[in-house]
Amino acid sequence: MTITNQTRALVVPELVEASDDRGHRPVSDTRMPLAPGSTAVLLLGALYCLLPVAWVVIASTKDASELFSTFTFAPSTHLWDNIVELTNYRDGLYWRWMLNTALYAGFGAIVSTYVSALSGYALAKYTFPGKGVVFKVLLMGVLVPSVIVAIPQYLLLAQVGLTNTYWSVLLPQLISPYGIYLARIYAAAAVPTDIIESARTEGARELYIFHRIALPMMGPGLVTIFLFQFVAVWNNFMLPYIMLGNDELFPITVGLSGLLNQGASLPAMYTLVITGALLSIVPLIVLFLVLQRYWRVDLAAGAVKA
Amino acid sequence: MRAAFRTGAIAAVAAAALIMTGCSADGGSEGTADDPIELTYWAWAPKLDKVVDIWNDAHPEIQVTVNKQDGGDPAITKLLTAIKAGSGAPDLIQAEYQKIPTLVSSDALADLAGTSAADVSGEFPEGVWDSVTLGGDALYAIPQDTGPMMFYYRDDIFTQLGLTVPTTWDEYAETARALHTADPSKYLGTFSSNDAGWFAGLSQQAKAEWWSIDGDAWGVGIDEAPTQQVAEYWGGLVAEGVIDNKPMYTPEWNAALNDGTQAGWLGAVWGPGVLSGNAADTAGLWKAAPLPNWGTDVSNGNWGGSSTAVTSQSKNVDAAVEFATWLNTDPEAVQALVTETGIYPASTDAAASALTEAPEFFSNQPDFYDVAAEAAQAVAPFQYGPNVNVAFSAYNDEFAKAAEAKTVDAFLAAVAAMQTITVDDLESSGFTVAK
Amino acid sequence: MTATVEAPPATKRRRGPARRTLTPWMMLAPGIVLFTLFMAAPILYTLVLSFQKEVVRGLGLGSGAKSRTFAGLENYVATLTDPEFLASVGRVLVYGLILVPTMLGLALLFALLLDARRTGAKGFSRVSIFLPYAVPAVISSLLWGFLYLPAVSPFYWIFEQLGWDDVPSLLSPGLVIFAIANIGLWGGVGFNMIVMYTSLKAVPTEIYEAARIDGASEVQIAWRIKVPIIMPALIMTALFSMIATLQVFAEPMTLRPLTNSLSTTWSPLMYVYRDAFTRDDIYSAAATSVIIAVATFAVSFFFLRVVQRRAFGQED
Repeated sequence: MTITNQTRALVVPELVEASDDRGHRPVSDTRMPLAPGSTAVLLLGALYCLLPVAWVVIASTKDASELFSTFTFAPSTHLWDNIVELTNYRDGLYWRWMLNTALYAGFGAIVSTYVSALSGYALAKYTFPGKGVVFKVLLMGVLVPSVIVAIPQYLLLAQVGLTNTYWSVLLPQLISPYGIYLARIYAAAAVPTDIIESARTEGARELYIFHRIALPMMGPGLVTIFLFQFVAVWNNFMLPYIMLGNDELFPITVGLSGLLNQGASLPAMYTLVITGALLSIVPLIVLFLVLQRYWRVDLAAGAVKA
Repeated sequence: MRAAFRTGAIAAVAAAALIMTGCSADGGSEGTADDPIELTYWAWAPKLDKVVDIWNDAHPEIQVTVNKQDGGDPAITKLLTAIKAGSGAPDLIQAEYQKIPTLVSSDALADLAGTSAADVSGEFPEGVWDSVTLGGDALYAIPQDTGPMMFYYRDDIFTQLGLTVPTTWDEYAETARALHTADPSKYLGTFSSNDAGWFAGLSQQAKAEWWSIDGDAWGVGIDEAPTQQVAEYWGGLVAEGVIDNKPMYTPEWNAALNDGTQAGWLGAVWGPGVLSGNAADTAGLWKAAPLPNWGTDVSNGNWGGSSTAVTSQSKNVDAAVEFATWLNTDPEAVQALVTETGIYPASTDAAASALTEAPEFFSNQPDFYDVAAEAAQAVAPFQYGPNVNVAFSAYNDEFAKAAEAKTVDAFLAAVAAMQTITVDDLESSGFTVAK
Repeated sequence: MTATVEAPPATKRRRGPARRTLTPWMMLAPGIVLFTLFMAAPILYTLVLSFQKEVVRGLGLGSGAKSRTFAGLENYVATLTDPEFLASVGRVLVYGLILVPTMLGLALLFALLLDARRTGAKGFSRVSIFLPYAVPAVISSLLWGFLYLPAVSPFYWIFEQLGWDDVPSLLSPGLVIFAIANIGLWGGVGFNMIVMYTSLKAVPTEIYEAARIDGASEVQIAWRIKVPIIMPALIMTALFSMIATLQVFAEPMTLRPLTNSLSTTWSPLMYVYRDAFTRDDIYSAAATSVIIAVATFAVSFFFLRVVQRRAFGQED
């Protein structure tokens, strides 16, 4: 957790589709001869980042003995066997974990994004007493590590009998101070005040303006908030670890970690964990590639200049 | 879960969820097939749910649900948190013997002395029964399995190098030297700073008394002759370089079990499961022998082993006791425990009838369970205290340093540090500690 | 920023000012309720716990043997005077000194290369370097653990083939801090690279064209123009990288069982974890949490005060 997901999400208001079609650059740029030196450095960086991923891919083709006896990067033929074994583990529990994770991260991130958009829009587009205080207090919540609040969250949720339920993992992750911070920047930059005013002149209600006019304009920014929150929930370990006793409610991180730490009298299920890790990365990669299209460069520019 | 999400607006959901306060189960003690008593059971033994299915089929009035846990430590951590919170604990929990005093001092376990559980004391060895009564009048759990320690070795490597199976620790040291000299890449074992339970078992064999009850006070005797003897012995072997100093249960250790770099392992009776899981290809190459002894008399230690306890939050103690008693003493249940989960049952008679054939991994050693029974017979008494967790984490830290330093002095210093940390913790919590 | 986009003067409003004041509060309500329940309340509860402790009588067996009492500052004093805790803070500072400059330096280098005109393989490299962001720290530490342990590592296999027998393990006491920093670097460099790269892309290219006409080289443009322009993004990434290093937890926690070199209190958050979960002392854990949170606030505010003009010049 060197870069905790909370703080990862903290940094960038302007994560965007980083495609290279920067409209206002002279066309001649792209036709320059390549510099082998800088390309090589960049590829070296890519290689460094892909190495452990390549390891997972190869390791997940090995059976339990090969994992510890054959050369690390020598692939084998057991990928399908491993997937079958993982699927058979306690009647498909792994896929249940996958669904749970999709639920926690997907549903949680959608609601969280909506709450952030609503708050961010209110903070950006209205003047009211106490606004500064609300904003500052919300922002301070960003700095508190999730490991630290997880225990008191458990004790408080236990008071209302909600521990060991889906709610215990979902509810605490619906609030994202940084999402609110980002949404405020996006709302300020992407929703022109004139449009709000003219809608008001036409008699539109405030919530109608928000839902029908402001939300679509904030779209690309909201995709970014959604993605951050999705990854933050997906990668969160401590909260579900503490909250859940029933492993049918586990997300992937807690489930896989349990297969590793079985206690002394049982062997760690390395092959299952490695295959499970590989399969769990796939949906995230797909999500990145799909959502990439919705990110916009101009929004980033707007945020910085606003 | 789909039904739970029907509600729309999230603020409303949050509010509703918080209003919907813990609708606690009613205290009805008689279950019927139509309205059964529902019990939850936190356990980590693999496939335990299969054994519980047998019970559920035969007892429609008491239905038990197993919640599989990650292992002994996380399960207890969660239970203690739930006890602090006042709700959320299961009815039953699989508790390792060393956790019982901690659980009792946190008021996490129901006292079963007045229930039918007290009637089965005769089914278990006295030492095992002591660890669930803490030597007093109360009864905190029903023993499930034990982990008498055993020495596993690679029979093929021993034969090839002409080594004999050590019966004393002196012989073990000689064998370790001979093996390492014959093939410097090989070790007879490793000193693992990661497995406090393992070191506790070795100390138990040497007749250590890490905790003792002295009237109304706890005695702590870690830094005394028996444990010092064990630490000095292992420190010497590590310093000499004939025993490895890396932790067990790592990918590296697994690789070493596979390629014969680790040609021996001081494990416990549940060892076949670990070996077959980590080094399946070495099946038939290993043999089990009693733990080497100190030459004075035959003695042994325990590593692992657990019991079934009823928590203090259970509303259905009697039903829970009925189930726990069945699980650990009924011949059919114990047979299923052996077949499904691979444990070594604590119940003496049930074990004798259930354990007839050697585990598949040890098909080359038909008398595997005779050796195991011998090992179980020799287990020395051992008392755990209320802060085993503190002592064990002190073991991890202090012996990690010692194993890295590779000197006898460092090993003895680690024992002394464990004693200090354990006593300081007891005193700062307010326990009375005997001087 | 807000000053330029806020609603026009009250005279133009069709609805009453009271109504207009109520609307933003209604919109903020879900956020404020959730924040209060799931962040503010737990934090306050942590504060309450940190001033308490549990005491036991006698043998501590049987029900009611433990009771909760007021502890004053006892837990705080215990943490702040514990050499183990101070050592963990020291380790994390060294760790930050290793990780933050390396990570930000590499992220900046990659971002500038992605933004440079003559670099190839940009799309592939960008996705590859960003990919580790998707891997949970618990899993990435396991992967690297396999690559570190000499018996299963491909690197040590290569060393062996080369005849280098005595390459020390990356998990040995002197090197383990680099092993952990490497996992942090792997997980964080792509993310920071994307932050810097998007800031670079927001800069109008006309600025560079002028410099090119004056004969400036690409390296000069990068160093003298691009880096100063994206300074706000650099400061932000530096701040959050620093906060993240203070909170390092999952990597050493996952690697610990693999080696003798990591103690159960290697980092401050591991210290909290040990108190809360291994020692079942949530009161000490709460006090240590408060100390860490306060230190994090202090570091952030101090850092921001120093660089406020540049990073938050446009903020209110």
